[in-house]
Amino acid sequence: MPEKASDSETTARPVVSGLSRRARIMRRLTFIVPVTILSLMIIMAIFADLAWLGLPDVGLAPYDPVKMSLPDRLMPPFWDEEGSTEHLLGTDKMGRDILSRLIFGARISLSVSLLVILITSFVGTVLGILGGYLGGRTEAFLMRITDISLAFPPILVAMLLAVSMGPSFVTVVLAISLLGWAAYARLIRGETLRLRQMDFVAQARIIGASPLRIMLRHIFPNVINPLIIIMTLQIGLLIITEASLSFLGVGIPPPAPSWGNMINDGRNLVDTAWWISTFPGIAIALVVMSGNFFGDWLRDKLDPRLRQL
Amino acid sequence: MSDVILEGRDLKKYYPVTKGLLQRTIGWVRAIDGISFTIERGKTLSLVGESGAGKTTAAKAVLLLERLTSGEILFEDRDIYKFSKSQMKAEYRPRVQSVQQNPWSSMNPRMRVRDIIAEPLVVNTKQTKEQIRKRVLELLEQVGLAPNQADYYPHEFSGGQRQRIAVARALALNPSLVVLDEPVSALDVSIRAQIMNLLKDLQNQFNLSYLVIAHNLATVRFMSHSVAIMYLGQIVEYGDAEELFQHPLHPYTRALISASMLTLPEDAEQGVEQIILKGEMPSPLNPPPGCRFHTRCSETQDICSKEVPEMKEYGKQHVRCHHVVYR
Amino acid sequence: MSEIVLKVEDLHTSFFTRSGEFRAVDGVSFHVREAETFGLVGESACGKTVTGLSILRLLPEPAGKIVSGKITLDGTNILELSKKEMRAYRGAMISMILQDPMTSLNPVYTVGNQIAEPVRQHQRIQDKNMVEEKVISALRLLRIPAPERRLQDYPFQMSGGMRQRVVGSIAMSCYPRLLIADEPTTALDATIQAQYIALFKDVQKETDVAIIFITHDFGVVANMCHRVGVMYAGKIVETAATSTIFKAPRHPYTNALIHSVPRLDRKDDRLYSIEGQPPSLLNLPPGCRFAPRCPDVMDICNEQQPQEVEISEGHSVSCWKVK
Repeated sequence: MPEKASDSETTARPVVSGLSRRARIMRRLTFIVPVTILSLMIIMAIFADLAWLGLPDVGLAPYDPVKMSLPDRLMPPFWDEEGSTEHLLGTDKMGRDILSRLIFGARISLSVSLLVILITSFVGTVLGILGGYLGGRTEAFLMRITDISLAFPPILVAMLLAVSMGPSFVTVVLAISLLGWAAYARLIRGETLRLRQMDFVAQARIIGASPLRIMLRHIFPNVINPLIIIMTLQIGLLIITEASLSFLGVGIPPPAPSWGNMINDGRNLVDTAWWISTFPGIAIALVVMSGNFFGDWLRDKLDPRLRQL
Repeated sequence: MSDVILEGRDLKKYYPVTKGLLQRTIGWVRAIDGISFTIERGKTLSLVGESGAGKTTAAKAVLLLERLTSGEILFEDRDIYKFSKSQMKAEYRPRVQSVQQNPWSSMNPRMRVRDIIAEPLVVNTKQTKEQIRKRVLELLEQVGLAPNQADYYPHEFSGGQRQRIAVARALALNPSLVVLDEPVSALDVSIRAQIMNLLKDLQNQFNLSYLVIAHNLATVRFMSHSVAIMYLGQIVEYGDAEELFQHPLHPYTRALISASMLTLPEDAEQGVEQIILKGEMPSPLNPPPGCRFHTRCSETQDICSKEVPEMKEYGKQHVRCHHVVYR
Repeated sequence: MSEIVLKVEDLHTSFFTRSGEFRAVDGVSFHVREAETFGLVGESACGKTVTGLSILRLLPEPAGKIVSGKITLDGTNILELSKKEMRAYRGAMISMILQDPMTSLNPVYTVGNQIAEPVRQHQRIQDKNMVEEKVISALRLLRIPAPERRLQDYPFQMSGGMRQRVVGSIAMSCYPRLLIADEPTTALDATIQAQYIALFKDVQKETDVAIIFITHDFGVVANMCHRVGVMYAGKIVETAATSTIFKAPRHPYTNALIHSVPRLDRKDDRLYSIEGQPPSLLNLPPGCRFAPRCPDVMDICNEQQPQEVEISEGHSVSCWKVK
C-alpha cells in the first residue's frame, strides 16, 4: 500500500520557466556580482590587520590607518603624476593612507551594520511574534510603540543620543537600533497574523501545545525567510545611516576611520583633493547596491509572495 | 445501552458586529443558535450544512478553538467548562483530536513527518525518545505509510498521503473522539475512497467516535451513524442516519438530498425532477423571523413566518418544522 | 442530429519547463454539437483544464505550447488564426467561465461595466442605451432578479451564487457558439449548485450554445452533460453518452471512479478503491498510463499504449481489455 514519496510530483504544478537565455544570465549576474563584492568587503574587514590573532603588523592594510605623516599629506592616487605607488589611493590632509583607512573603515562600518541588524532583528522578531500571536492588548500596545518608532526621524534621535552620551561606537549602534527594530516588528507581526490563521497552528492548539511552543516551533521557523530578506536589504540602509551620522559628526569619533567620517574629512577639499571623499563614497555605493541586489535576489528565491515589499 | 462520549447542550455562539472608531456593537452574527447533539462511543455523528450553516463553529467549540457564548459541552458526563486548566490539559485535550480539511495547510512545512506525528506525544507525555520513535513507526504503519517515509517533509507527499499523516497525528494520543472537518473534500476522487475506508477501519479497530463536518451528503451517508442537518445556525433535522436518508422529514433535508442526487438524463425524461430551492441562505446577522427556512421553503404556510418551530420527536428523528407529515 | 460546433483532433499540449516536458494533453480528440454539453471529467492534473485553455489559446506563455493537433470551430481551424483574429473569436465565439466567482470579477468595476466590456469590444456598439439593453438582456438570460437595478452594483455587494451568475452573463453576453465552463459550480453550495445547473440547462435551450463542462464531480456530470469524456494523465480513456458511462463503463479507470464515490441512495459498508496516484507527467509509463494502478492489468498493458476502439455508436474506449 505505501506509495513512494516521489509520486507527489504529479500533483505539483509544472514550474514555468518563462525566462529567456539572456534574462537567465542577467539573473545569475545579479547574484554573483553582489555576493563577490560583499564577500570582498567582509574579507577586507576581517583581515585589515591580524591584531585579533596577536599579529598587529600583518594584514591587508599597508599602513596604520591613524598614523599621520605630514610630509606626505594630500598625495593624489598613484596614477596621477604627483602620486606614488606607496600610497595607491593617495593620502588625506594629515598624510594618512586612504587605502588603509578604507580597509579599516570597512571593519567599522560593516560591524556597525551587522550589530545593528542582529539587535534590531532580534528585538523586532520577538515583539512582532508576541504581538501578532497573542493579539488583544499586548498587540495594541506593541503596535502603537512600533508606529511611534516609525514616525520618529532616526537621524534626529541618533543625534540627540550622541550628544547626550558622547559619540562612540556603542552610541552609534544604540542610536540606530533604538528605532530600527520597528520595521522588523511590523513585518513579522503581519506574517504572524497570517500564520496564526493556518490550520497547522490550530492543530498545534488541538494537541495541547503551549503558546510559547507554538511561537517557537510553529511560527518562528516560518518567518525566517522574510526575516533574512529584510536583513539583507537593511545592509545598505544601515551603511548609509552610519555614514550620515559620522558625516554629521555624531557617529564614529575621529581619528578612527569609518566611511562616513572619511567623506566628512574630505568635504572641504573636494575641489582640490577629490580622492579623499570619493573612494569611501564609491565603497558605500558598492556595498549598498550589492546589499540591495542580493536582497532582491534572495527575495525572488525564497518567497515570491513578498515581491510587493 | 447508550454510551455517550460527548454531548452538546443548547450551544450558542454569537459574534459581535462592530462599527466605527469606538467599535460600537451594532448587532450579532448568530453563527450557532441553540444546537444540541450527542455522540456515542464508537459511533459517528455528522454535522451537515451549506457554508454559513454554523457546522464549523460547532466543531471549533468542541476543539476549544472557540469559546461559546452559552451552552454546555459534557464530555463523559462532565461539563468541560467546569474543568480546571490542568484537568483540561490532562483529561480533555489529548482525548479529543482532529483531522482538518486541507492537508496542504494543516502541517508545519518546516517539520519532518516524524516530528509532526510525534508532537502530540512530546507535548502531552513524558515518553522517552525511543518510545516515541517506536510509536511513530507504529502509527505510520496503521495509516498505510512506510517507515522510511518518516524523514520526509510534508511537501514531498501527495494530498492523500498527507491526509494519512494527519490521521496518524490525530491518533498518536489514543483519543476517544476525533473531529473530522471535511476530511476528504480537498482530495481527488480516486483518493477519497482510500481515506474514507481507512477512517472506517480505524474506527472499528480502536472504537473511535467521530464528529464529522461535511457538506457532501453521500460521504456523510457512508461515514455516519447519526446525522444533524444544519441551516442558518440551527439543527433542523437530527437522528439516525439511515432513517434520515430514507425518510427525510424536513423540507430542507429533502431539498438537500435531491440536489445531491444523481439525475441521469433519462431519469429526467421519466419525470424524476430535482427540488430546486429558490434564493439563497439569508444572512445570519438578520435571520428571518419564525422558521428560518420559510423564505426558501416550497411548503411554507402562514404560521411558518410567525412562530419559531420547536424541535419535535418523530420516531428516531427530531425535526424543527411546523408541518411534518409523519408516516 | 444538430451540427458539430467544435471538433478537437489529436491535440497535444505540453509545458516546457526546467525539469523537462510536461505532456499535459497528449492526443485528445472529441467534438461538441450545437445545444449539447460535453463533460470533460478527471482528477487534478489530468489535463482537462489545459484542454480548455488550448481551445481558447490562452496557455501560460511561453512555457505552454500546443505541439500538434487541430481545433475546428464551425469549420475554421482556430490554430491557424492570427493572434488578432483569435482575440476577436474569444468572448464573441468562444467564452469561458472559471471556477472561483470571488476572483473572476474585478472588484473595482460595477457589474454593468464588466458585462458591457465584451459587448463594446466585439459587437462594436458604442451607443450607451444599446449597450445597456444588451447588458440587461444578458443579466435576464441568467435570471438575475431586477437586472436594471443590478447594473450599478459592485461584485462585493452580491452573494457567491449571484456573482457566478454575473460571470455567466459576461460569458453569454455576445451569445457565443461555444462555452467552456471550468468547474463553475465547485465553489458553490449544494442547493445553489443545483440552481446553477438548472439555470444553465435553460440558457442552453434558449441559445443553442455548445458547452464543454470541465469537472471532477460525477454528480454534476450526470445532471448536466449529454456526453462525457473521462481523462486520465493527459488522455481521454473513455467517451460515451452520460447514461452509458454510469451504467456500463468499460474502462477500469472510469469504473473505479464511478464506484469509488459513495452513493446517496444506498448504504455502503466499504468503498471500492484503487490504490496509488496518477503518474508524473514528466515520467510516463511506456504502456497504458493506468496500468500501474489497474486491477485488471495484463502484460501488454505495460508495454504498448492501447488504441481507441469504438465499441458501439458513440462509445469509445482505450483499453487492451476491450476489443
